[in-house]
Amino acid sequence: MSEWITLTVNGARRTVPYVAKKSLLDILREALDLTGAKEGCGYGACGSCTVVVNGEAVKACTLRGKEKLNGIEVLTIEGLADPEGSLHPIQEAFLRAGAVQCGFCTPGFIMRLYALFKNKPGATEEEIKVALSENLCRCTGYEAIWEAALLAQKLMKGRPFPERGS
Amino acid sequence: MRMNFQYIGKSFERTDGYAKVTGAAQYVADLKLPRMLHAQILRPEFAHARIQSVDTSEAERSEGVVKVVTGKDCPIYFSAAGFYDQRPLAVDKVRHGGEPVAAVVADTLDHARKAVPKIKVAYDPLPVVLDPVEAARNKAVLIHERLGEYRHLGHYFPEPGTNIFHHYRLRKGDIGAGFKEAEVSVEGEFEFSLSAHSAMEPHGAICRWEGKDRVEIWASTQAPFAVQQTVAEMFELPHAHVRVHVLYLGGGFGGKSDVTIEPMVACVARAVPGYAVRYICSRKEVMTSTVLGRGMKARARLGARKDGIFTAFQAELYFSDGAYGDAATNIVTVAGHNCVGPYAIEHCHVDSYGVYTNTPPVGAYRGYGHPEGCFISERLVDMMARRLRLSPLELRRKNFLCEGRRNSLGETIRDHNGDLFRCLQNVEKEFFSRPKPEEDERYLYGRGVASMMKSPKGAPNASSCCQIKFCSDGSVHVNLGGIEMGQGAQQAMRQIAAEALRIPLDRVSVYREVDTQHSPWEWQTVASMFTYRGGNAILKTAEEAIRVLKENAATVLGVVAGGLEYDGESVFLKTDPDRKVAVKDLARGYMYGNGLTVGEVAEATAGDRLPGYVEPDPKFGMGTAGGTWTFGCQGCELRVDKKTGEVIIDQFISSFDVGRVISPQMIRGQIVGGVVMGVGQTLKEKIEFSEQGKMTNATWVRYKMPRIHDIPKKQMIILAETPEQRGPFGARCVAEHPMVAVAPTIVNALYDATGHDFFRLPVLAEDILEVLK
Repeated sequence: MSEWITLTVNGARRTVPYVAKKSLLDILREALDLTGAKEGCGYGACGSCTVVVNGEAVKACTLRGKEKLNGIEVLTIEGLADPEGSLHPIQEAFLRAGAVQCGFCTPGFIMRLYALFKNKPGATEEEIKVALSENLCRCTGYEAIWEAALLAQKLMKGRPFPERGS
Repeated sequence: MRMNFQYIGKSFERTDGYAKVTGAAQYVADLKLPRMLHAQILRPEFAHARIQSVDTSEAERSEGVVKVVTGKDCPIYFSAAGFYDQRPLAVDKVRHGGEPVAAVVADTLDHARKAVPKIKVAYDPLPVVLDPVEAARNKAVLIHERLGEYRHLGHYFPEPGTNIFHHYRLRKGDIGAGFKEAEVSVEGEFEFSLSAHSAMEPHGAICRWEGKDRVEIWASTQAPFAVQQTVAEMFELPHAHVRVHVLYLGGGFGGKSDVTIEPMVACVARAVPGYAVRYICSRKEVMTSTVLGRGMKARARLGARKDGIFTAFQAELYFSDGAYGDAATNIVTVAGHNCVGPYAIEHCHVDSYGVYTNTPPVGAYRGYGHPEGCFISERLVDMMARRLRLSPLELRRKNFLCEGRRNSLGETIRDHNGDLFRCLQNVEKEFFSRPKPEEDERYLYGRGVASMMKSPKGAPNASSCCQIKFCSDGSVHVNLGGIEMGQGAQQAMRQIAAEALRIPLDRVSVYREVDTQHSPWEWQTVASMFTYRGGNAILKTAEEAIRVLKENAATVLGVVAGGLEYDGESVFLKTDPDRKVAVKDLARGYMYGNGLTVGEVAEATAGDRLPGYVEPDPKFGMGTAGGTWTFGCQGCELRVDKKTGEVIIDQFISSFDVGRVISPQMIRGQIVGGVVMGVGQTLKEKIEFSEQGKMTNATWVRYKMPRIHDIPKKQMIILAETPEQRGPFGARCVAEHPMVAVAPTIVNALYDATGHDFFRLPVLAEDILEVLK
């Protein structure tokens, strides 16, 4: 007898079998075929698996347990562009600033910033830096990611935050 | 040379950008295939031990297990670089703690994981050697007893009966005379710790056999054609029957250029033909069981006349290259002939040893022996400047390689090889034209500079090939085999192709995946060579494709092709531009109204390799082994916190002579990223082992890499552009280079700040505190 859990992922209700010890990352990647979130380490050090859970940035590889998973609302990188495929300003900013190289860390950084700016559009430079320090990148040396964050903030300034997933 | 470029020297959105910001870009771990099984690997309890027995029976009965494979099932030696000392799984002996001993194949990953501990292995432990100098001398503990029997290429020099698997000798001039001429000399003992590349994407491979004769592999590799050849050789298959696919690669830095897990996965999958066997390394396994980088101990001495002219350089380098030497052989050679630095020195005498140790094998890592060598030369040059009371900049200028001077290999440098003086001047103008901040209550301040050079090292026949095919609307496919691993290979190729074919960027479709079946041959995407070589391949191929279009048009217009011109849209008569045929009507031959078709299909292919490139001479270690260079200088201004020993880099400046900028955004990405990687290597990163050879920090929690708070406050980039004679549009290689001189730049600045010479990397805050006491 398998147990089931229900999550809302990118605005859609999904029911998946619950397997003990499986993380949210495993569920996204294996059960739901959402492979945008990546596993770089498997223990929350790199942030490549960062998604937005109930409005907060969460390292999906560390979120486990039936109670913690059942009923949550998840936004992944696949849910960030609008349905026609137009990019979210944060995605746009990453391209313009040259913040994408190998791309493996990119979804995690973008989701980290999405949660930050959704909750705090006017986040200070130090707050942005603290948020970004949760994630590792080995290609860019962070400078372009930093610039992308500032550019994204600028692009969204003075208008409602483009919220996704509902 | 053309100057009015439309696509060269400008930044455009990356071809892979949209896929990467939307999560659509696929990496090997994202791939699912039908009938896919999962492999997990048993690693040994000891770093050095004989295997007495392996009992797989209990594991075989474990839930979901389809097969258990051990080294006895595939006792084949493989090699990608020409030194056959490694097997896919350990057979009679384990030589490092991360070696594969057995593999479980099961229906699910969990079932495979659960079965691994059920394999019972009896070991007979052997003494462990970790230090390369000690290992080189220790004839009692041999990691490879049969070193003398291994098949290898002629330019590797193993010393059977020892742990030295390769000894490179550089003998230029007469070292005795060189030191006799010297009026002063400086020397040092250097240490460069082992480090982990830590590309964000772990290594992975999926392998599927069609019976025993054909095999398909999806792998995270920078070198699909090397994997193809290696696996084909192992199983004595026609190379063409091995097909290797590479999707997007989540960073490489050399760590995915050596053949590592693929032979093992191929062996394992061969036991279950028809099934796809998937194996993705855990982060720990990437660190313990693929390849590491660096790992050097060295002694070196530089001699100079009182006027500052260098007369002699002598060094002995020992590399702790781990349990297998195949991936490290060439690094030993390159470090040997590059550790003299970018200077003309008449008398050089270097012995560089690749030494077996009971640690994971060392492979290519961004810079390939050059960061190790550069650390030696640039520290010695700084020390020499102090001895001679000369400015370190002036001393470098007196000895720089330049037009007409000969490098350590005996090659004569020409102007088109690049301008070190210009690079140094760029650093000097920015940094040394104003006074350094005075020591204050909290901080000591320091400034340092270092120069570098890098030449590629590869197979002398290493090539990049290109295929161009026109579509019937005049848009074009451009296909190469260089791997996109973040550096922007695809985008660089797209810009070069658009320029060469004079076709708008949005009508040029470059390849996304690489597949040995369909992609043109590329030796490996290494040595920072792809833009250079791939770019040249495009130029040659474009010329050929345009020739076909012109021939077709000549037939239609009834003229000779020599009288025709091409502008990307049409082919027309030079003397009468109104007489023209559209490219789209020429792409597949020209079809008249009645269907009669004349001419050829506009598809072309061509390749490029460095001309005259050879292995070093066996006796003197010299020859045309450099191929091409990129020169550069870096400088930094830093602060040392007197209380904590913490180093804050306020400014870091890089100046490279890149020949020609193809994309400013991508060059900046390479330089800024390379510098930060170098900062990590200099101040943080170090792989550590217990005395028994167990890696003690094989996690990203314990192995500290730079995060955003650790980067220089400001990075500056000032490029020189002295066109390279045969580079595409004059472009030169730049990718590994930004990492090469970072360590000596910082360590020279640390001397300036603290008055202490550090010789051992990384320099940790505690090391600095120690000397401040």
